[in-house]
Amino acid sequence: MTAVGTHAWTRVETAPPPGATAALRAEWVKFWTVRSTPWSLTAMFLLGAGLTTLVCALSAGALARGDVGEPVGAFVTWGIVFAQVTAVVLGALVVTSEYGTGMIRATLAATPRRGAVLAAKAAVLTSTLFVAGTLTALAGYLGGNWFLDREGIGLALTDDGVLRSMVGSGLYLAGLGLFAAAVGLLVRHTAAALAIVLGLVFVVGNLVMVLPGAWGEWATKLMPGNAGSAIATPQSFNPLLLDPWVGFAVFVAEVAVVLAVAAAVFARRDA
Amino acid sequence: MITAHRLTKTYGDRTAVDGISFTVEPGRVTGFLGPNGAGKSTTMRMVLGLDRPTSGSVTVNGRRYADFPAPLREVGALLEARALHPGRSARDHLRWLAASNGIPRTRVDEVLDLVGITAVADQRVGRFSLGMGQRLGIAAALIGDPPVVVLDEPVNGLDPEGIRWVRTLARDLAAEGRTVFVSSHLMSEMALTADHLVVIGRGRVLADCSTAKFVAQHAASHVRVRSPQHDEVATLLRHRGLDVAAHGGELRVRGLGPAGVGELVGRSGLLLHELTLVRSSLEDAFMTLTADSVEYAGASR
Repeated sequence: MTAVGTHAWTRVETAPPPGATAALRAEWVKFWTVRSTPWSLTAMFLLGAGLTTLVCALSAGALARGDVGEPVGAFVTWGIVFAQVTAVVLGALVVTSEYGTGMIRATLAATPRRGAVLAAKAAVLTSTLFVAGTLTALAGYLGGNWFLDREGIGLALTDDGVLRSMVGSGLYLAGLGLFAAAVGLLVRHTAAALAIVLGLVFVVGNLVMVLPGAWGEWATKLMPGNAGSAIATPQSFNPLLLDPWVGFAVFVAEVAVVLAVAAAVFARRDA
Repeated sequence: MITAHRLTKTYGDRTAVDGISFTVEPGRVTGFLGPNGAGKSTTMRMVLGLDRPTSGSVTVNGRRYADFPAPLREVGALLEARALHPGRSARDHLRWLAASNGIPRTRVDEVLDLVGITAVADQRVGRFSLGMGQRLGIAAALIGDPPVVVLDEPVNGLDPEGIRWVRTLARDLAAEGRTVFVSSHLMSEMALTADHLVVIGRGRVLADCSTAKFVAQHAASHVRVRSPQHDEVATLLRHRGLDVAAHGGELRVRGLGPAGVGELVGRSGLLLHELTLVRSSLEDAFMTLTADSVEYAGASR
């Protein structure tokens, strides 16, 4: 056999190197080309806006008569509690579906800089959830407030905390999705990630309220779902919670810690 | 060119790849051959920077994979497991790959055409047959028009037509001057595809030579002789300087063809019951070479 290793392959045209946004564009295409994304966002809208409207329609009369010992402001973003589930599902799937299918190897072969992959995923997820969450809250407010207005107890968008709760719903759902993605990156398993995050927000977050004394009070204030969600409503059902922006800062810090741990593990781990 | 230098990977106390060194040259197909569990996929994952070597190094054209700004334009890889989301269409899968490395979108249609799945490009890949999935994987490997192509078990699950297609493609890519590194556990397939072989077993390199040399060395043939005058025949042939080994009732004779052996025995007036040329296949040679290194040997019955 003759020596065949002498002629090197040469490219015909040389494309410019990909910009810093290449990983971002790849994640954007990935995000919008699986059905779980539109499904999750549709479910978010239906649950978030639909349930808010429904609950306001059903409670408007009682609220107006003063039969309900709860603030009106707690009702105009009522559905966001349930929309949380969809944000968690979407956030977890963005990461865990890649591990479940082996896609993660294709992703990391295409973009070996793992920090860039994680940053791109986080940017796509949080920007989408922020917009979807804000629009969901706004639609829920418009729908629910229509019934409240008829009873003369409606809230204006300019009333204290109303506009903040619209944007806050977007911020909270974006943070929650990112939290689920970080947990997903740690456990690499859809069901496990969902169980951990939903359990923490819906079960543990409420259970700690029964702990005695200051312990219970602070545990309740600091649980991620409790600390973060106050920003998503003009007035909370739970008077114990931290102030909206303080609570959100605590929540952001908690998400940041979990995300940092996940990023460190991701950077070192074999794919 | 792919260069591995004392590449090692351990998982706990299990050593998957044990200090292997080899070079994959451009312009030819290099077969990476070994039984299942020999460390082929682990090695390939280290080439692609997916797994971190415990020690040693592997580079592609002198650089670590992770250091390429646009790796898909330097190395195209078909990974063993299907690294695909079942809910995404073939076209969309290639679209995000192209986007990730700044590859023009027109290239997506080109590679779809090249592997012949344009007609099903908009179907979700979860519905693809194994063969179509494998073609999509090869399209993904070629999307960056890379000078180095790594294919892990590319013929797995393919029908004969598909196998021949992969074989031709690998040879064409090499003929264009690219570096082509193909893993397989099928010796017979590699004999037809590869110019050069790196054979591994239990994480070590057992052979690193041209396919022709490997065949010449390992695929030996012999003449099987059975005779009622077993001992006399053996003595006669040994006196003629032939290599004769007795295995139960048969003699295995090396150094002369069946015609020559028959004539020698006939001229001496001895009786023959059998005279057969036995070629040991490449598969046998491979089995013999790797016999001690098979990870999951079946119990012999």
